[in-house]
Amino acid sequence: MSISRRKFLGWIGAAGLGSALGKSAFAAGSKHFEGHPGSLGILHDITQCVGCRSCEAACARENALPVPDKPFKDLSVLEEKRRTTAADYTVVNKYEVPGRKAPLFVKKQCNHCLEPACASVCFVRAFKKTETGAVTYDASVCVGCRYCMVACPFEIPTYEYDEALSPRVMKCTMCYPRIMRGEIPACVEACPKEALTFGKREDLINIARERIRQYPDRYIDHIYGETEMGGTSWLYLSSVPFKEVGMREDLGVTPAPELTSGALSAVPVVVGLWPVLLMGLFAISKRKEIVFREELESVKKAAQPPIKEDI
Amino acid sequence: MNKGKNLIRLAGVFAVFTIIIYGTSPYGAGQIVKDSSRIRADLIKIDTMAAFGRLEKPPVVFLHDAHTEALAKKNLDCTACHLTEKDQIFPKFKRIKDIDRIAVMNIYHTECIACHGEMKVAREKAGPVECDGCHRAESQYASSRQPMGFDISLHSRHSEAQEKKCERCHHEYDEKEKKLFYAKEKEGTCRYCHKAETKDNVISIRLASHIACINCHSKTLAKKLASGPVTCSGCHDLAAQQKIKKISPIPRMERKQPDIVLIKSAPKDAVMDADMENQNRMKFVPFDHQAHENYNDTCRVCHHETLKPCNQCHALAGTEEGKGVNLENAMHQAGAAESCLGCHETQKGAENCAGCHAPMGKISKRKDDLCQKCHMMPVSETEKVLNSDAENLLAAEMLKSRKSVIGTYPEKDIPEKVVIKHLSKDYEPVDFPHRKIVHALMDKIKNNKLAGYFHSDEGTICKGCHHNSPVSKKPPQCGSCHGKAFDENNPLKPGIIGAYHQQCMGCHQEMGIEKPAGCTDCHKKK
Repeated sequence: MSISRRKFLGWIGAAGLGSALGKSAFAAGSKHFEGHPGSLGILHDITQCVGCRSCEAACARENALPVPDKPFKDLSVLEEKRRTTAADYTVVNKYEVPGRKAPLFVKKQCNHCLEPACASVCFVRAFKKTETGAVTYDASVCVGCRYCMVACPFEIPTYEYDEALSPRVMKCTMCYPRIMRGEIPACVEACPKEALTFGKREDLINIARERIRQYPDRYIDHIYGETEMGGTSWLYLSSVPFKEVGMREDLGVTPAPELTSGALSAVPVVVGLWPVLLMGLFAISKRKEIVFREELESVKKAAQPPIKEDI
Repeated sequence: MNKGKNLIRLAGVFAVFTIIIYGTSPYGAGQIVKDSSRIRADLIKIDTMAAFGRLEKPPVVFLHDAHTEALAKKNLDCTACHLTEKDQIFPKFKRIKDIDRIAVMNIYHTECIACHGEMKVAREKAGPVECDGCHRAESQYASSRQPMGFDISLHSRHSEAQEKKCERCHHEYDEKEKKLFYAKEKEGTCRYCHKAETKDNVISIRLASHIACINCHSKTLAKKLASGPVTCSGCHDLAAQQKIKKISPIPRMERKQPDIVLIKSAPKDAVMDADMENQNRMKFVPFDHQAHENYNDTCRVCHHETLKPCNQCHALAGTEEGKGVNLENAMHQAGAAESCLGCHETQKGAENCAGCHAPMGKISKRKDDLCQKCHMMPVSETEKVLNSDAENLLAAEMLKSRKSVIGTYPEKDIPEKVVIKHLSKDYEPVDFPHRKIVHALMDKIKNNKLAGYFHSDEGTICKGCHHNSPVSKKPPQCGSCHGKAFDENNPLKPGIIGAYHQQCMGCHQEMGIEKPAGCTDCHKKK
C-alpha cells in the first residue's frame, strides 16, 4: 500500500515528538557512591615493591591455583610483561623507567572497583560487590558469556578456556573468606616490604596522603584508584607517572555502570511509549479512511437508480 | 557489461582512497628530528618582526655557526654581517637598532638573499632564496643549546689571563654622567645588572656576554694566542662545555672578602640601640666564609642579588628591599639554595647520607637545641656599635672550638652482632653485623665537615636506625615499638617485618649498595 506524503510526514513528526517527550535518560546521575562505609581496601606503594613475587606465591597457595611452569622464586619471568591468567589471580610486572637506576615493580590484580563494570554487565548476577569491598564471583550461576571480560576497563577477569565441563571466570577475590574471618589477604600478609597495606579504604586514603605529604620528593601527588572509574578499593602510590608503570590514565572518573545507565534506562520508555503512540496515529489515520469509504458507499447507494418493482 | 563497469568504478574509488590515505603525509604532524646533525647548539630564531606586530610568516631558524664557517672559508669575519663602531661590535644583523618594520624586513631580505644568490651563481652550496626555504612552518633542526656561565674556576683562569686587571671586564654605570666606570672592590657578576631581558639602556645578559666575551676572544685569536671560543657551539654545546678545563685547587678571588664573619641581625656600622638589642633574641652566628667560598660553583648561589652581606637587605622584620623575606626566612628556608639551611638540607640528599636521611621525610620535627649548633655567640658579648674586626676575631675563636669529628660510643658499647629472630617461619634468624655497619656509616661521612659537626655528639649517628626515641647508649630495639602490621591506631608505623625490610633494604637502595641482594643473602631458608 503506498503511503501519502502527508501521512509519512505525520508519522515522522509523531515519532520525533514521542522521543522528545520521553524522559531524558538520567538514572541517578547526581549520586556518587563512595563505597560502603567501613569497606576495606589495599594500598600498594610502588616505591617499596622489590618484585620478589612472594605475593604471587601466597595467592596461589591460598586459592589452590595450579602450580606454574616456572616457580615463584624465578625472577626471570619479570623480563616480560604479564597479564592475569586463569591460573594467576595476580602478577608482578617490572618497569624500567628512563632516568631511574632501579626498576619499578607493580602488582596487578582485580581492583575491586566501588561500582564494578563486571557486576554491572552480568545479567545473572554472578558478580557481587560485597559490603567488605570485595567483588566476589559465584561460579554456580555463571553462564560463561564473558561480558565481564569485555567490560572490565583494567582487563582483569580471565576464563578457564581449557576446562571442558565447568569453566569459571577467574579473578582476585580479595581473599573474601579470609577477611570474613578477620584475617588479612594472603598477598598482603606475605609482602616482606609492606608494600601492601590493608585497612579501611578511607584510612588508606589518609595514610597515602600523609605519605605524600611527608615525602613529597618520593611520590607523585596522586592516589591512583581514588577516583579512577568512580573509585577502586585498590589504591596505588608511585614515584613516576602512572602510565610509565603500565597503568591507564585515560579512564576518567565516571563509574562504568553510569556510562551505560543512560542508554539502558531509555529502553523501557521507547518500548513502552512508541508502539502505543504510533499505533494510535495509525488507527486515527485508518479511521479517517474507513469513514471516507463508508460515506462513499452511502453516496454510491444513494446515486443508484431505484429498483423497479413489478406491479 | 554492467558488471565490468561496476568493477572499474569500484577499483577507481579504491585507488583514490589508497592514494589519499597513504600518499599524503599527515598534515601538521611534528617531524621527529632523528638525524643527530640536525640537533645543533647554534640555532637562532629570527622573529624580530614580532616586536612590530603579528608575524605574517613563520620565524626563520638561522644556523649561525654554519654561516661563520662558510664565511671563514672566504676569509671573512664577523664584520661581514655585524657592524662595528669604534671597536664596538653590534650584535644585530647589519644594523645598530631596529627602526621600523619595513626597514628591518628589507635588511634581512636584501642582504641574505643577495649573498645566497651570489653564491648560487658561483655554483657554491648556499642557503635558500625562495620564501619558504627560510620561513619554514616546521623546522628540521632542533636546538641543543646549553646555557653558559662562569664558575669560579673559569673566572680564575680569566683573571690570570687578564693579569688580575679586573677593570678589563668589570664596570659600574654612572647615572648622572651616563657612562661606565670602574669601581675597585665593588666588582660583582655581570648578572647583577644585566638581566634576562634588555631594559632601557641595560642590555640583556645575552647581548652583554656575547659583546664582551666574543669581542675579547676574537681579538686574542687575532693575536694568535690561546683564547676562548668564538662560535656558538664553542660555548653552548654540551660536549664543548664538558671539555672546559677545571683548575684545582682554585685560587681564592682577591676582593678583600672576609675570612670569618659574625652573622648579626643588622648590617655593619649600624648603631645598636636598646630597641635593636631587645629584638635580638637569638645568639649571633660565627660563619666561616672562606671555607664556604669553595662549596659552590659560583658566588651567586648565596649572593643572589649583590655581594653585600645578607642582612643589608634581609632585616629581622621583612623590608621592601628584601622582597619581604625576613632574616629568619633568608637563613633557614628549606628548599631555597640561597639559605643556609636549604643548602645543608640538599647536602643530606647525597648518596652517603641518604641511607639514614631519606626515610626521615621532609617534615622532620627539629629539636630546639639544634639551633645552638650555629647560634653560638651571645649578643651581650658583642659591642654596642657593631664593630666587625674585633667580633670577627671572636667568631674565629668560636669556630676553632667546634669539633667536627663524628662522635660515637666506645667499641665495647656497640654490639658486634645482633641476632634478629622475630617471627622466623620460613627463614633462619639473621646474624646482623651491627658494628660493621656502624663503622661503614662512619667511614662514609668521616671526611665531610658538615656531617662531622652535626654528628659530633655520641648517640646522634645511632638515630639513623634507632629513631623516634631519645639518644642513649642502649637505644630501644626495633621490636620494642614495631609489632603488628596494619594497626589502625598507628597507621603510619609498619609492622616488625615491614620495619626491618624497609629500613634495611631502603638504606641499601638509597646508598647504592648492591649486596646483599635477594632474600637468602641476609637470612637462609629453613
